[in-house]
Amino acid sequence: MKVEVTNKRKLKSLKTKSESATNYAPKPSAIESTFSMFQKATAADTSSESGTLEPDLVAAASAAAATLPNSRQAESELLQQLRRRKDLTEAQKKGNDLGDIIADMKVGKKFSRQNSWPSNQIRFDEDGQGYTHDRGIASELASVRKRKKLFPSKRLNIFSPVTDKDTAESALTKPTLWDIAFVNELSFSTNQMPRNVLEEMIQWTKEGKLWEYPINNESGLEEEVGISFTEHVFLEKHLEEGFPRQGPVRHFMELVVAGLSRNPYLTVQQKKEHISWFRDYFHQKAEVLNEADVCLS
Amino acid sequence: MHSLCGAFGWTPAVHQQAKESVILPRKKAWSKEAVLETLASTLNRDSTAYPYQFQDDPYLSPRTATEFKLYSLAQDSGRSAARYFVNNHPKFFTKDFAEPHIPCLMPETVSLLLEEVSEEALKERITLRKVTAAVDMYDQLLQTGTAVSMETTHELLDLICLYCDRNPVQEGEAGAEEEKEGRRMTSRRGADVPRLSWTENNNAERIFYLLPERDTRCYSAVIRGMVKHGAYAKAFSVYSDMLNNRTPGDVHIFNALISAAPEVRDGYSERWDLISELLNHMKQQEIHPNLLTFNSVLKSLRQCGSLARSYSPQTLNEMKALGIAPSLASYDHILAVFYKSVSSGPSNSDVLQNLMTELEGQSFTCVDPDDVLFFSSAMKVCLDNKDLELGYRVQSLVEVGENWRLLGDSVQLSIYYGRFFNLLCMMEDVDVVLRWYKQMVPSLYYPNAQGMKHLLQALDTDGRLDLLPDIWTDMKTLGLYNRADLLEQLLGLMAGEEHSPELQEAFAVCALDVKSVFEEKAGLEWSASSLSHVTTLLLRASKAQQAWDMLKLFKAHNRIPSEALLNSFLSVCQRDGASERAVELVQLSAAFCLTSTSGLASRALAEFDLNQEQRLVLAGLEAAAGPPSD
Repeated sequence: MKVEVTNKRKLKSLKTKSESATNYAPKPSAIESTFSMFQKATAADTSSESGTLEPDLVAAASAAAATLPNSRQAESELLQQLRRRKDLTEAQKKGNDLGDIIADMKVGKKFSRQNSWPSNQIRFDEDGQGYTHDRGIASELASVRKRKKLFPSKRLNIFSPVTDKDTAESALTKPTLWDIAFVNELSFSTNQMPRNVLEEMIQWTKEGKLWEYPINNESGLEEEVGISFTEHVFLEKHLEEGFPRQGPVRHFMELVVAGLSRNPYLTVQQKKEHISWFRDYFHQKAEVLNEADVCLS
Repeated sequence: MHSLCGAFGWTPAVHQQAKESVILPRKKAWSKEAVLETLASTLNRDSTAYPYQFQDDPYLSPRTATEFKLYSLAQDSGRSAARYFVNNHPKFFTKDFAEPHIPCLMPETVSLLLEEVSEEALKERITLRKVTAAVDMYDQLLQTGTAVSMETTHELLDLICLYCDRNPVQEGEAGAEEEKEGRRMTSRRGADVPRLSWTENNNAERIFYLLPERDTRCYSAVIRGMVKHGAYAKAFSVYSDMLNNRTPGDVHIFNALISAAPEVRDGYSERWDLISELLNHMKQQEIHPNLLTFNSVLKSLRQCGSLARSYSPQTLNEMKALGIAPSLASYDHILAVFYKSVSSGPSNSDVLQNLMTELEGQSFTCVDPDDVLFFSSAMKVCLDNKDLELGYRVQSLVEVGENWRLLGDSVQLSIYYGRFFNLLCMMEDVDVVLRWYKQMVPSLYYPNAQGMKHLLQALDTDGRLDLLPDIWTDMKTLGLYNRADLLEQLLGLMAGEEHSPELQEAFAVCALDVKSVFEEKAGLEWSASSLSHVTTLLLRASKAQQAWDMLKLFKAHNRIPSEALLNSFLSVCQRDGASERAVELVQLSAAFCLTSTSGLASRALAEFDLNQEQRLVLAGLEAAAGPPSD
């Protein structure tokens, strides 16, 4: 459970990252604004399609990270790596046309992503399609800056932009010891200390040490949510079979059922087991009861 | 109805809309940290507070850089000691009160459970990172003839190669934490794995060659291990083995080989040829490069001399064409190539300017351990080019989002801020400098002696010497009073000229403080200029008696007072009317065999009213010293 929620969070942060990755471009062009918006839309599409990682991969990552001393950061880093690889391969899958566009284009000024982030969180969930185009063309044009190119655009020309799908498999393998050591090195080299008590609480929540806000009294009791109270309280139906309808045994069992119905600490399964234990017990002791003249019909 | 609408202010249009169906917005799903993150976004850094991890006992707040390191190490070692106890004595930690259950606080298994010879036991040893035990188990398995699955063999090889066939230092063992922290503090590389050297015929090679068939992952583990632990030539021979067997490679093999290329070739062009050959092999085998591939190319290009200037931009463009975003490490390598050394002539900051324009406002995460070197290199370039505006741009990039985390460990942090502060002191107005000083010190940056010197110089340039007493208290808090040259600079600035009486008084207090520091700290030698500065300051503040004591110190430390000092002392004596003192002064000067003795003597005779005895003494001294020098 903890792992899936982590994924969701990473998805949002990676969405902006994969955009900046695909937005990276070196040259001005008159139609830059529409192109970059198109790019943003396709990038957002790719990242929204990528969804969550396979659960066993994620479980393997968390198990692997658990062996590390700094396992929470390591785990989030590992998952981030896997997602990044996955997103990158998918971005590269559609890479051919994007690659040409990139080669012709120039980096516009980046708006501060921090301000637009909270609103993106909401909009992302609403229709699942990532960005809606309400940024407006005006803001795009306003950000185009005229400046010299950073470097001449000659390339090594050794590799060609990736179009095929066999990179997809390489991104989905279990993290090896090398990956774990690499992620560990990364977490050591950066400064992960919390700067205030709230950041510390965020770290603790990710590790599972702290209740999640807003507080849900029933966290940890998920399976009980689905079971209605009638099954806990109205337990006479379990007395239908295996027990006599009258007599001291029945009386005793009715008292047991009354006690169980008031017990908030046992699950329904445990209560049923309790009752069936009594059923077996009385069946075993049938001779004793017969001698005592208690009817067992 | 309509009157009601009018009463409530509803327009008919609204009333119309109320009849239409209501569209419920979809429920938002928030992450479990959303509330906390929103709250955290309202907080800024408090520049007057110590870092959060130290906000406990005010006695334990670090005031100097060494204290900071020491206390962080202490905190971490406490945590690992606690983990050690929980893991090694689980019988004391069996009660579980938490509901819902908190798995990460429970004891972990650190000791081996399975003892029989089986693949499960081998896997357990691999998971617990016990290298020698795993190798033993593997050998036993081979002896009994049990087949070990390829998967487990891969993991075993990974384990051996990663740790270079030695057991990694486990947490909680003596010295382990300091080692790890020490490594974290001093070198960012391989914090988990120390720099060991690959021995000949170690277990990795032995097991590798015993394998009936070696596939990509086996080669990958061995080559990466060899490169990591320094056996570069061997790595290349294993690689040519791999080529001969026509085994396909993978991207990690090539990354490792590219980074090892400068070690196995000597000429610049041979190195580049090897790198491009490797890249072409990658292309032929249809292995797709990733960010680390290109970062290793750039890193190796740093050692390719002049070829780097032409090939690094091409590598960068190649990355962009393939849709791989360069990380800060790539930019760091570019900077290193284009701003090779200070002696390479006046380099302009164009490259960095354009780079900063591209990077402006972006948020980064660490994807390469070398990312943390970028900011300090960028600031060095700004410092060398004395470009203040560029420095501000770099600093604003640091302040974007979480980029400050990429400033690295405390060493890198102090280097970066030291350079930034240096740049500010050189180029900015003292008011701005002081504003930054208040913001950065000591919450972000503990200045060292060099930084303090720059600050003092900046104060001197702009004539804000009235702040010197406050700076002196800061210096004491920061523990910077061990540097005699720094103290001398401070004293020199204070004694430079005459100031207002209150300021002189403050300076005199400071001077006495400095004097007591000199006396208390062993290993601090008085120099002649320091002594004379202190004396001058005391004189100016009319503390004649203490100034006189200072003169005695001259003799004690074998330093010679200057003529100007003695003359000014004499003037003060004359102002105070202390003729006895004046005579003693001249006698002192004679004791030092100074040439100025006779001048002093004649001055004393002229300006003071002395009794007969004193006159005789002075006359004798005047004569004895010979004719006054002109």
